[in-house]
Amino acid sequence: MSATSTFPRQIVKPPAARRSFIERWLVGIFLAPTVLGMALFTFLPIIASLVLAFFRWDIISAPQFVGFANFAALAQDPTVRVSFLNTIMFVVVAVILQLGIALTMASMLQARMAPWLRVFLRSTFFFPLVLSAASVSIFMRYMFNEQFGVVNWLLSLVGIPAVPWLTSPVASAAVVVLVYVWQNFGFSFLLFLGALTNIPKELHEAANLDGATGWKQFSNVTLPLISPTVLVASVMAIISALQVFDQPYVLTNGGPGDSTRTAVMVIFESAFQQLEFGKASAIGLILTVLILAVTALQFRLSRRFVFYQ
Amino acid sequence: MTSEETPGHRPPSHSLRSSSTLSQLTRRSMLGLAGIAVAGATVGAWPRLTGTDIPGRGSKALNIAILGTAADAAGRQGLIQAFTAAHPDIPVQLQAIQGADWKDFFSKILTMVAAGTPPDVVYVATEGAQLFADKLAEPLDAYIRRDGDEVSDYFGDVHPSLLEAFMYQGSLYQLPLDWNAANMYLNTTTFAQAGLDRPKDDWTKDDFSATLKALRKARPTDFTPYYWTNRLFGGVVPWLYANDTSFLSETKAPGGDWLWDRFYPNDPARATRGGGYQWLTPNAEDGRVVETFDYLRELVAEGLGVRPESGGGNALVGLFGNNRIGTTPAGGYWAQGLHEAGMTADQFDVQFFPRWRTQRHQFGAAGYAIMRTAKDKDAAWEWVKFCSTREAMQLAIPKPNTTPTRRSMVNESFYAATGPRHWKVFYDTLDRFPTSGPIPAPPQQAAVETALMKNVSTAVSGSSADVRTAMGNLQRDLELALRRNS
Repeated sequence: MSATSTFPRQIVKPPAARRSFIERWLVGIFLAPTVLGMALFTFLPIIASLVLAFFRWDIISAPQFVGFANFAALAQDPTVRVSFLNTIMFVVVAVILQLGIALTMASMLQARMAPWLRVFLRSTFFFPLVLSAASVSIFMRYMFNEQFGVVNWLLSLVGIPAVPWLTSPVASAAVVVLVYVWQNFGFSFLLFLGALTNIPKELHEAANLDGATGWKQFSNVTLPLISPTVLVASVMAIISALQVFDQPYVLTNGGPGDSTRTAVMVIFESAFQQLEFGKASAIGLILTVLILAVTALQFRLSRRFVFYQ
Repeated sequence: MTSEETPGHRPPSHSLRSSSTLSQLTRRSMLGLAGIAVAGATVGAWPRLTGTDIPGRGSKALNIAILGTAADAAGRQGLIQAFTAAHPDIPVQLQAIQGADWKDFFSKILTMVAAGTPPDVVYVATEGAQLFADKLAEPLDAYIRRDGDEVSDYFGDVHPSLLEAFMYQGSLYQLPLDWNAANMYLNTTTFAQAGLDRPKDDWTKDDFSATLKALRKARPTDFTPYYWTNRLFGGVVPWLYANDTSFLSETKAPGGDWLWDRFYPNDPARATRGGGYQWLTPNAEDGRVVETFDYLRELVAEGLGVRPESGGGNALVGLFGNNRIGTTPAGGYWAQGLHEAGMTADQFDVQFFPRWRTQRHQFGAAGYAIMRTAKDKDAAWEWVKFCSTREAMQLAIPKPNTTPTRRSMVNESFYAATGPRHWKVFYDTLDRFPTSGPIPAPPQQAAVETALMKNVSTAVSGSSADVRTAMGNLQRDLELALRRNS
């Protein structure tokens, strides 16, 4: 018998209670910064915002309880109404475009292609996402300037007259969507690329043998197999699009008229420009409820459309 | 060999516990403990960031906030040194706060107020004058009465219209230091190409239209005869003023005699002076307002003027410098900008804004406001008073990147390096057109500006019928805006 074997293992271990105490203590230490940070910068503002929605507060004077007056005022405010309608329209168009382009690009990259070209395109599509939305929007604002922008200059070369990209309601909404989608589709693209890579090749080979090619193979084999990723990508895209702010704020400042004003823009204007923090909180609360409702609806629908292997 | 090493010998229990606990402190545990130790040592040893490091908190220095960058703050070091030499007992801390525009700057100041770290003194432009006067600023009346002899030189050198812009309900809240009227800048290169001379002082709106048409004829493409922006200063308002109207009804509060009687007894417009401007009701559906918007709509429709976007600033200077713009409204602040963009004094000039029913001009100004929460208001007043002296203003405004409020500083030598040739237009605006008024900015300025900007673009982009619809919307939005508390 060796010397070490004379010591039973249970003797080396500390008592379970003490071990448990140390572990809990360390877990607590490791988690404390995150928990504290979230409590201070996430949960506390959420609670404060909930409470503020029932007050009138301009920062300078003391808050004044007004019950549901802020919510009642929102119903009467045409700007708020229009901004929510704009946001919903934006979400519908931008998310469909974002997911559609991302899926198309990811599918194309899965096809036969030189590896270097695949790497190049993957980086290129993802690159806009790492740029600041404000910087991109400032740059795009110059590009789409009616008189001096590059876009209209290029159009003039083929005889197309100048388009008021940022000063007509329809064109400005289109530019906001375009800039947003251009900058954000890279994330969905990466998700789809990962999902497509994980589909076993045998399944596509079997489908080919059965005569299912092209769209038939995509809709009956590929799409069901990546449907969980489609769900995740669409949930994230919708939540992000519902909170769109930078692009319309910098490109058009919500105009012309209210044609590109979004819900988050109205929250910002109400709180930090017009000092109506109660109203801003009430709008924020409604937007949160809207986001939760849309997400819940998506998960509910996913039971019918999402296929888990 | 020690007893503990003897096979079969059971070591003492305390020793066993000790070694077993250490064996349980694996890499993760050790990392945790090391982290705690490092954090503890760091917290204990470092001169860490505390609440007192936030400007304005825990410091006895007079905290002054200006709109600008760190470079702007550095540019005022000479001013601070001069003040410190005159008042060694008053330490001063200048805080430059960046903002896209005045509205953005005011939002940041209000956030500082909410955070409990308000500055003692804030440089406030006309856009925020009534917001500050209504909610945040200390009236200067008592100080001016007390130190009237010291500041009489300032009042003797500054046009009363500029001071009236900072009167609110009979009290004066700021001593304006710089200002700019919305005059008309002319690109003389493009004027020469069109065979045009500098227009006469009393040129009319029709003369202006004819000028734009001539400019367009000479440069059919890649050129804008009239560039204007969608904002409170230099946008639609100068045209409304020229047409003797505004989108808000303008009245004057009673009071202010204490100032006018003492410092401006010989003012030709003394009878019209009051206790400050009031913008209490919307006036967007007034016939002249509709007429003005329709005129601007026609300019856009005929390709003589741009559909206005919000903003302006540096990009506009570049376009003007490249001869891609014929005319644009701007103030004295543009002289230095155009000079730095490479334009020589003979490549641009300035003229009064065209006459319509009147030739009333719009202007904006700025000066220091003392916050009601200032730690030492007397010290703050010393700063305000010092900055209004000629010596201080020369240090603060060494170049024509704005127009000094002191008439004596607006002279040949000030514009010698930059132009324009007719620099006298800047101050003459106030003398020739004494009814010239400030940017219409009630305490609810942010909401009012948003309402105006969003309806201007739709009003000038459609048909004549669309103008009336847009003015109806503007009226409704202004009613909502003016109902707000602030």
